[in-house]
Amino acid sequence: MIEVDNLHKRYGPFSALKGISFRAEKGEILGFLGPNGAGKTTTMRILSGYMPPTSGSAKVAGFDVFEESFEVRQQVGYLPETVPLYPDMTVKGYIRYIADLRGVAQAGSRVDEVLHLVGMYERRESLIRSISKGMRQRTGIAGALVHDPPVLILDEPTIGLDPRQTLEVREMVRTLGKERTVMFSTHILSEAEQVCDRVIIIDRGQIVAEGAPQALRDQLQKGGRLFVRIGGSFTPETVRKTLSGVGGVSSVTIQPEGITVEARGSQDIRARLSAAVVGAGWELLELRPLAMSLEDIFMEITAQQEKPERKN
Amino acid sequence: MRSIWIIFKRELAAYFTSPIAYFVAFAVLLLCGIVFSNDLAARNGSQATDGAVVLVYLSQMSIFFIPLITMRLFAEENREGTMELLMTLPVKDNAIVFGKFLGAWAYYTVLLLLTLVFQALLIWLSPPDLGTVIASYLGLWLFGGAAIAVGMLFSALNENQIVAAFLGLAALLLLWQADVVGTVLSNRGLAEFIRGFSFQSNYIYSFALGLVRLDHVVFFVGVIASMNFITVQIVESRRWR
Repeated sequence: MIEVDNLHKRYGPFSALKGISFRAEKGEILGFLGPNGAGKTTTMRILSGYMPPTSGSAKVAGFDVFEESFEVRQQVGYLPETVPLYPDMTVKGYIRYIADLRGVAQAGSRVDEVLHLVGMYERRESLIRSISKGMRQRTGIAGALVHDPPVLILDEPTIGLDPRQTLEVREMVRTLGKERTVMFSTHILSEAEQVCDRVIIIDRGQIVAEGAPQALRDQLQKGGRLFVRIGGSFTPETVRKTLSGVGGVSSVTIQPEGITVEARGSQDIRARLSAAVVGAGWELLELRPLAMSLEDIFMEITAQQEKPERKN
Repeated sequence: MRSIWIIFKRELAAYFTSPIAYFVAFAVLLLCGIVFSNDLAARNGSQATDGAVVLVYLSQMSIFFIPLITMRLFAEENREGTMELLMTLPVKDNAIVFGKFLGAWAYYTVLLLLTLVFQALLIWLSPPDLGTVIASYLGLWLFGGAAIAVGMLFSALNENQIVAAFLGLAALLLLWQADVVGTVLSNRGLAEFIRGFSFQSNYIYSFALGLVRLDHVVFFVGVIASMNFITVQIVESRRWR
């Protein structure tokens, strides 16, 4: 549904996108992950027909975003990062305005339908200025959905929401993704993991990693930091000695609730570690990678990225 | 065409949900009423009434209040992020601009219609020259349209409504008084050229005297068309930035 080929975007001397290429299939939820300023919004704006790329091509449902902008806009429902709302309109009036501008057939019943879908039907007569942030987000999503688009592009739809609203929006995105292609940007890794079928990590205008969230996580955090709990009779000293002796271990921290083992580089030490524990006659109760935060992953990926550049 | 109509309806409705529109209408009618009653008192029944007096005053007032009604047209959308919505809907950029322009012009037309109350009073007291009144209204309607088009252009350039209003006011003051600029120039040809852009001389010394001259009509219609055209270019340029 979405085909992006070697896309570049320059703002004056600043290069926001340096040749990114990716695909999104029908019925896929694609997570677009990256720090602020990585080029997520720029990519989404190009795909929604807001602005043309400097070079490269982008197609949505087979239509070129620049040559056939109007067809693309009919195929895409786009929710920008700042939800575009008119504070002086009612929720229903706003959705109806978008439906009319889009030329939606049977606008009246379709508007009620999307209001039910996002759970805003009871508040349809409220002025937008008086509703909560979570409701604004839902109203925005309703606006993006009113023409029943096959492609939905959501720019950080959970930003600034409280945890419960965040869950609601994630749930909604998952439901919507069943029959649509959804492209969804975030800078929260766990969110991408929960919601998306596939994740693209973008940094400084380039794609730095791509894959299913679980695969990506495994790939990035083999080794790293491990949390270990062991049973049996032991003293902190013997544990420290045994575990430090395992090849590839750089440090061992013993805390009352368990042991944190740090691996050198990105070696996978899990097999050797568990063998060492069992070999010493203890029981291995728990061995799991400590969740890497997005920051850690970025540090890792961008460090890998920077090295070859410095050589030049 | 359909999208122009939808945007027009929304813009016009937006005026009537915002307090500023009522405030402007109130202030305009109050000030026009004072001028009207002073004028009537001055004529004191010894001079023929002139329906254009209130309208000449309203034309001068327009320079000051029109930036207040045009400032929100684009500046508000730029700031609220709704411009991004409009520009990703299957709506042409010129439909957005023209729909907004017509919405503001319709609000202004409502204001003009409200001043008919003064004409009704005159007709009841002592009928003025109706030809002059009709020409004055036609001229003021075009005058307002041109001023709205200028104000809208500055709104499209800004995210800040106050800045948009201020720049619009400065531009309108210059245009309004362009004939005065002529008096300080020694190059007669240039002075005449600049004078041709004066809103004041194209209205007060023509329509308000009961003259409907093609060149003055063309002047205001031309300002409307060119300002709308430039505004479309400004809106479109957002896509290239």
